[in-house]
Amino acid sequence: MIVAEQKPLGEIRRIIAPFERVLILGCGTCMTVCDAGGEREVSFLHNALRVAQSRSADENHTFSEYTVKRQCDSEFLDPLADKIGDADVILSLGCGIGVQAMAEHFLDIPVLPGVNTSFMGMAKEWGVWDERCSACGDCRLEETGGICPITRCTKGILNGPCAGTKNGKCEANKDMDCAWILIYQRLERLQQLEKMRRYYPPRNFLAVPRPKRIMSKASIDVGEGNG
Amino acid sequence: MKDNTQNYRTKRTEKYLDHSLMPPCQVACPLHMDIREYVDLVAQGRIMEALQTIRSGNPFPSICAYVCTHPCEEACRRCQVDKAVTIRALKRFAVEFGGDRMVHAEAETTRPDKVAIVGSGPAGLACAYYLRKHGYPVTIFEAHSDLGGMLRIGIPQYRLPREVLDTEAQRLTQMGVEIRTNTRVVSLDLLFDLGYKAIFITIGAHQSLRMGIEGEESLGVIDGATFLREANLGLKPSLGTRVAVVGGGNVAIDAARTVTRLGAKKVYILYRRSRKEMPADPAEVELALEEGVKIQFLTTPVRIERENGRLSVTCVRMELGEPDDSGRRRPVPIKDSEFRKQFDTLISATGQAPQTPSDFRVSIGKGSTIQVDPVTLTTNRAGVFAGGDAVTGPATVTEALAAGRLAASRIDDYLQHRYPLADKEGGESLRGDLMPETIAMIKKIGRVEPPILSLEARVKDFGPDELVYNWETATNEARRCLRCGIGAEILFQDKCATCLTCLRACPYHVPYLDTRGTIQIPVEQCQACGICVAECPAKAIVLRKPYDRRSIDEELEHVLKSAAESRLKTFIIGFCCQYGLFGTGTLASLWREAKAGVWIVPVLCIAKIEAEHMLRAFEAGAEGVFIIGCGEQCARENTAYWVSQRVEKVRKTLVQIGLEAERLQSFVSGITNEDPATELDKFVEQIGGLYLASVIMQEVKS
Repeated sequence: MIVAEQKPLGEIRRIIAPFERVLILGCGTCMTVCDAGGEREVSFLHNALRVAQSRSADENHTFSEYTVKRQCDSEFLDPLADKIGDADVILSLGCGIGVQAMAEHFLDIPVLPGVNTSFMGMAKEWGVWDERCSACGDCRLEETGGICPITRCTKGILNGPCAGTKNGKCEANKDMDCAWILIYQRLERLQQLEKMRRYYPPRNFLAVPRPKRIMSKASIDVGEGNG
Repeated sequence: MKDNTQNYRTKRTEKYLDHSLMPPCQVACPLHMDIREYVDLVAQGRIMEALQTIRSGNPFPSICAYVCTHPCEEACRRCQVDKAVTIRALKRFAVEFGGDRMVHAEAETTRPDKVAIVGSGPAGLACAYYLRKHGYPVTIFEAHSDLGGMLRIGIPQYRLPREVLDTEAQRLTQMGVEIRTNTRVVSLDLLFDLGYKAIFITIGAHQSLRMGIEGEESLGVIDGATFLREANLGLKPSLGTRVAVVGGGNVAIDAARTVTRLGAKKVYILYRRSRKEMPADPAEVELALEEGVKIQFLTTPVRIERENGRLSVTCVRMELGEPDDSGRRRPVPIKDSEFRKQFDTLISATGQAPQTPSDFRVSIGKGSTIQVDPVTLTTNRAGVFAGGDAVTGPATVTEALAAGRLAASRIDDYLQHRYPLADKEGGESLRGDLMPETIAMIKKIGRVEPPILSLEARVKDFGPDELVYNWETATNEARRCLRCGIGAEILFQDKCATCLTCLRACPYHVPYLDTRGTIQIPVEQCQACGICVAECPAKAIVLRKPYDRRSIDEELEHVLKSAAESRLKTFIIGFCCQYGLFGTGTLASLWREAKAGVWIVPVLCIAKIEAEHMLRAFEAGAEGVFIIGCGEQCARENTAYWVSQRVEKVRKTLVQIGLEAERLQSFVSGITNEDPATELDKFVEQIGGLYLASVIMQEVKS
């Protein structure tokens, strides 16, 4: 799941400052789950912006709010057309993908990001989110006991641990587990410690140029080029 | 402006959608009273509204408040946690403190057809009440000198004071019911000749059953119904010093306790089964034992002889055999266990049956009861209806009231030539028991019985022996209600992102993931605390009752409007638990004589206050916002935690806006040592200071 956090209120106020009518648009999928831009956060932000406006002499916005199921698919965005007519700007609480999907779908209205899209991760516990995947496009988890060194090792090294590991923690952050120690322990448990002896050659990230595209059909009839 | 804060998708009929289920107490009540509702109103200290709710489902709540056998309490699911809520005693509290005797009933005659009611027991009175409400001219015929039937001549005064009965009778007169006492109806034809279009027979079951033993006709043997009638009409029957009552039902207990109050030295109850099988109300049995009544279980008289002015009763010991038709174990005499006992008087209370004059020409069925169609309540004669004990055999007051109410609507159907309308279904009812995991998390709070007069004061005379709760005990007792059937539901499955917040937040471990990966919130487990509703990031969860959903929003908007209209420049909004300190407790005075500029939004548990509510208050111009919870008094665990989480979130936002974090405070008693009233005073002072500072700052700037 994509994890994000809401931008500081001050920043949001600054970016919406030039616009009068602001539509705060939530997203009902990842942003709801990570408490950054679901319907509740939309109305919280809405209320907070109105409080801020009520305490300031020089702001004069009108706000509206709406939450769609998923901003990153244009079919969900079609019904928004009439709401957009009443707005000068869209403050999207979708992830970076949602913001861009909105911008692509509604060409004539600016779309502003309301959250900082941070990583792909999961809930460690309720309200705590941890990064787990870097979307490198070349998954090696079968070699590392289901623990991703690219993401969870600060250095992202493929042959660890490095000399910076201390008591199972990382030298960069002593509260953070060393990914390679975790991998070792897990492989030991799985009785696959021989995998620790192998050498993994460096990967060639240049071979996959960005942005990437994946096709699950034989041919496509829309979208020339890439992006 | 409010429109903006509502999502377009949630704006459909959500506001008025009622998905609440009928709780077990309401299902068990013969009158199907909205018990959950009035208990909750009592818990909030809204006694008048509680009484209103009670009155809407019960024509004579004062009577029920004294004598109802409360099947609701047997059904109460609180039993699974600790003990049932004292529903009847709470009703008593509501009718006493809500001023039921002051309620004025009115009715207008809008229909021409006269209806006669034969008998003025609870069924007759209820039928008269509702027929009057329907607009029919009604006449009650009563053989005795006063209204009430069994309520007056069967139930002892210490259980139902006669003033209560008189008030109800008076209310019926006020409504224009014609009352003819000392009038025994012997022929229904005569009533039809007098112009009555329909007749309701509710003559009760006043005929005591015979014990069927030798010597039953002896002097000194009296039947229970006759004895209670005489005693209740104030005729002080002479009983001697040693009195035996035969039987194990409520009549036997009533008779025994009446005998005690009449001054007999030794009172025995002879019952042929054991205590477990006794049909009498266990609480009454307990009181009788306290008052010195001796109960001889597994004992039955077989022969009575009169010797030297006393009764010599031969009894036999019994043992319990196989269960009989009633499901209770059949008593079987033990061979050669006969023994003799001496009594001055023996009262037989082994059951009663109706005695219908043969001139009524209605068909009589099993146990001398009048046969009626169970749906229409019609007898074999056109226009003649019957109900109450005369149809069911001896039953409870509440059942009789329900029969009277049903009869009224059936007679209405008949007189309007309408096919009987089906009973109004109260919707789906709640089924299923609480799970052990849920029970484990519910705070255990002991049941508090209403106070009872001391033993000496009780047996002295016939005054009522049960007292009323005081305000605090009543509200605390009412707060024990688990609010079955009005819990949370995922109203918008399409919005649910299955984020598992509800599952993680629920203090009672109620929501679960089913095998298809959908979140389920089983209604029979949910405690309606509202925490998941306030936490759900998709706002997909609502409480099943529309009132609960609207409550805080509407109260807040109302208060904000009033605050805006007032001329005071600064104002402070307080969200206060309506159940605890503010509703009824130590801060109640504050609530009533609000401090200048402090506006209170009553909330039904602070865990329901959402962060948006706090911000909304600031938006409307509040200088400060505070939240007062009931702390230790709370019937739930840990509500303060949820508030503190949301308060912290809002405070962070306030700081970003440039407002001081101190402007938002929560006081939960028991968390700090200070008295909440003092804390609140300090807070008000502090906010005043902050306001002054901001004004000065502005002056300086300009």
